[in-house]
Amino acid sequence: MRIGIDVGGTHTDAVILSGDEVIAATKALTSSDVVSGITEALDTLMKDGGVKQSQIDKVMIGTTQFTNAIIERRELSPVAAVRIGLPSGQGLPPMIDWPEDIASAIGRHHYLLHGGYLYDGWPVADMDDREIDAMIGELLASKVKNVAIAAAFSPMNADPEKYVAEKILKAIPDAKITLSHNFGRLGIMERENAAILNTTLLPFAEKVISSFLQALTNRGLTCPVYISQNDGTLMSADFVSAYPALTFASGPTNSLRGAYKLTGLKDAIVVDIGGTTSDIGVLQGGFPRESNTVIEIGGVRTNFRMPDILAIGLGGGSIVSSDGHVIGPQSVGHRLVNEGLVFGGGTLTTTDIIVASGVADIGDASNVGHVQKSVVEQAVTRMHQMLDQNIEMMKPGGKAMPVILVGGGSVLVTGGLQAASAIHRPENAGVANAIGAAIAQIGGESERLVSYREVPRDDAIAKVKQAATQRAVKAGADPATIRTVDIEETTVPYMDESTTRVRVKVIGEIA
Amino acid sequence: MKIDATQLEDLALGSVFLATGGGGDPHVPLLIAKQVLSKLGPVNVIAPENLDDDALVVAIGGVGAPTVSLELLPSVDDAARTLEAFEQQVGRKVDAVASFEIGGGNSLIPLVAAAGQGVPVIDGDGMGRALPEAQMMSYAIAGVKPTPAVAYDYAGNITAFSTKSTDVYERHIRSLAMVSGGMITTAEHPMSGKELKNSVIPGTLSFSIELGRTLRENRGCSDELLAPLQAVFENSIYGECRNLFTGKVTDKATRITGGYDVGEATIEPFDGNGPALNISIKNEYLLATLDGSVIASVPDLIIIVDYETSMPINAERLRYGQRVAVFAVGCPNFYRSAKALKVVGPRCFGFELDYVPLEEV
Repeated sequence: MRIGIDVGGTHTDAVILSGDEVIAATKALTSSDVVSGITEALDTLMKDGGVKQSQIDKVMIGTTQFTNAIIERRELSPVAAVRIGLPSGQGLPPMIDWPEDIASAIGRHHYLLHGGYLYDGWPVADMDDREIDAMIGELLASKVKNVAIAAAFSPMNADPEKYVAEKILKAIPDAKITLSHNFGRLGIMERENAAILNTTLLPFAEKVISSFLQALTNRGLTCPVYISQNDGTLMSADFVSAYPALTFASGPTNSLRGAYKLTGLKDAIVVDIGGTTSDIGVLQGGFPRESNTVIEIGGVRTNFRMPDILAIGLGGGSIVSSDGHVIGPQSVGHRLVNEGLVFGGGTLTTTDIIVASGVADIGDASNVGHVQKSVVEQAVTRMHQMLDQNIEMMKPGGKAMPVILVGGGSVLVTGGLQAASAIHRPENAGVANAIGAAIAQIGGESERLVSYREVPRDDAIAKVKQAATQRAVKAGADPATIRTVDIEETTVPYMDESTTRVRVKVIGEIA
Repeated sequence: MKIDATQLEDLALGSVFLATGGGGDPHVPLLIAKQVLSKLGPVNVIAPENLDDDALVVAIGGVGAPTVSLELLPSVDDAARTLEAFEQQVGRKVDAVASFEIGGGNSLIPLVAAAGQGVPVIDGDGMGRALPEAQMMSYAIAGVKPTPAVAYDYAGNITAFSTKSTDVYERHIRSLAMVSGGMITTAEHPMSGKELKNSVIPGTLSFSIELGRTLRENRGCSDELLAPLQAVFENSIYGECRNLFTGKVTDKATRITGGYDVGEATIEPFDGNGPALNISIKNEYLLATLDGSVIASVPDLIIIVDYETSMPINAERLRYGQRVAVFAVGCPNFYRSAKALKVVGPRCFGFELDYVPLEEV
């Protein structure tokens, strides 16, 4: 059996799964120390499920702690950003386009060094040991020990980043360093931003991960622990301590993956209706469809891949105009329990409309007796129209598709949706995130630059796939279950036309 | 008229719209322009008609593959150093600088050079949009010779060119860009004030700022965008503005061939009913085809915007699943002459068809 835990900003959800079956599920408040929220959830869970510690093989944790830290500008440590690319990029230092509040929280410590490569492998400039040593001298004086290093074209040649990191570690053995090539993809500013965001979280990551482990140990769980990352695969707890930024999108990813698990639908639209918004995502082959726009985290441009989510202003707390024609985007949010009519408040909300329509029994229905029937009908129609139009936009094709409703606001959907071939309201939808974490798989990725003129394409891809498989197996995947989920071929512009960067991603079940 | 740092965001936004999918992401040029204009103050803008006939003007901008400059960042003083190198080459100061193309990052580089060297910038450009090659510039079409010209690279290397034909010059700067990390800055097509007046697409710098402001003020669902767009294009050098299509991208396949991103995108209506719109891409959006018939073609402008935010989307960022609206705008009259269509018509991009003006479709 396995346990899935989702540590969100407000709630900590947990489930026990035995194979595909949900044995127990619970929701607790996230505590400020994180630990007691998890132990509380675990206690309820083990008691409800009647399960012993020894029956649990593994624990998977999904968390938005790191995303929230960036968005709320808290728990951020000072970072020295080192870019290797001079003489190019003079006058464009790291963090130049960051919002002032987060840049000053991290401190504008930056260093520009000579070195890096052009796309064709020619060095931008020779590296200068004296320049590097002078930078290290300043690092020592400033006492900043978290360092992010980015070099021009490091996804193709990471040597300059590694060289500088080694020199820093020799002088500052307890330095915490992130190398940008581990965040892949071309675009030095976005890659460097990802590395800086990761680095600023490193001390907090150690604290959070040790709280997770502490909470589990407190309850006698000594089995392997995994943390879910952006693409819905898992990493070891140690790995997250070094790469906390890889959890940035795990919230929506786990929600979509959980909806898939709860229904078994590989291709579907998932609508997560909360208090303020409806978040519409798309499942393709059981995984979230990814967005292709530049992703900003807390106002910082990054190169992360995130699920494609369309958020519309329709939730259980959305404010309804007196004629029922306009709904949202303003919402009373979590104040619904004070301000909604059925709770004795004075604001007409979508929840009041549903109660007035007689479909749901929430709060005191007598408080909405005065709302005209025509207004109720108009508002109900409008809510369904809003969902229909937006689902229509997200759907991959013209045909109607199954729609999975999750989240507390899903009571708003009382009728059919034209865009939906069927509507699913899975049991346990409230803990979809924890379930998504519990079913996550192990992934492996590898990439290299190849010339199809020298190596036939199929052979080249097979080689990269083999390297990716080795990584996945090393990380704990069962070799028999490995399958390829993504092959990305990028022709390098202006180079010999057969030169291609091949990146392969594989995933497999936990061995 | 002056342009200061606070107008640059609007200029960049308008320029992405006019870039018709090409021109590269202006994010980095915008960062540079903001820094330089904040430090050195606003730049004087001069209308072509106010320029002396014997003034010396030079066109300045970046040449190469925008994807490469994602990794090899420019330096803040590249543009000013390029202009300085040009002045040394010809042995005199220039009186104004002009833009190659208003579409994309090249709308900002002349401002950076002008601020750095203390000269005015021409309100106008050599394309009125973005186009991939030097001989497609209005300056070249009107007979302005490409050289004397200089190129400046990331390491400060300077190369001078002397050749009469823009076709040959285009080949030379392309090969220099290839061995210089993929991106260089050039000062080229020097011309007299009189030559500029005969060849420039006028007013596009101030127009791009106005267009950008319109887009910023009308952020949100693109269903509401057509009327404000038509209002801003109505009194401009551009032709009619139409909303060609709204839907989602169901397919996009491009590959790099000879330095260009070449391919097709398919956009289907949201409800799946009715024919799909096909967009042919070669760096820029060049043709829009509906049900087998071309409904807009280069040199008219084809623009794709994000349906939810109305922000224009570059061809390299257009992907499967995106919700978009497609607009078309008639190009400036300069590009509708037989002489211009010989170098920028659909056949110049490998399409076996003649240009039909948007208004006649």
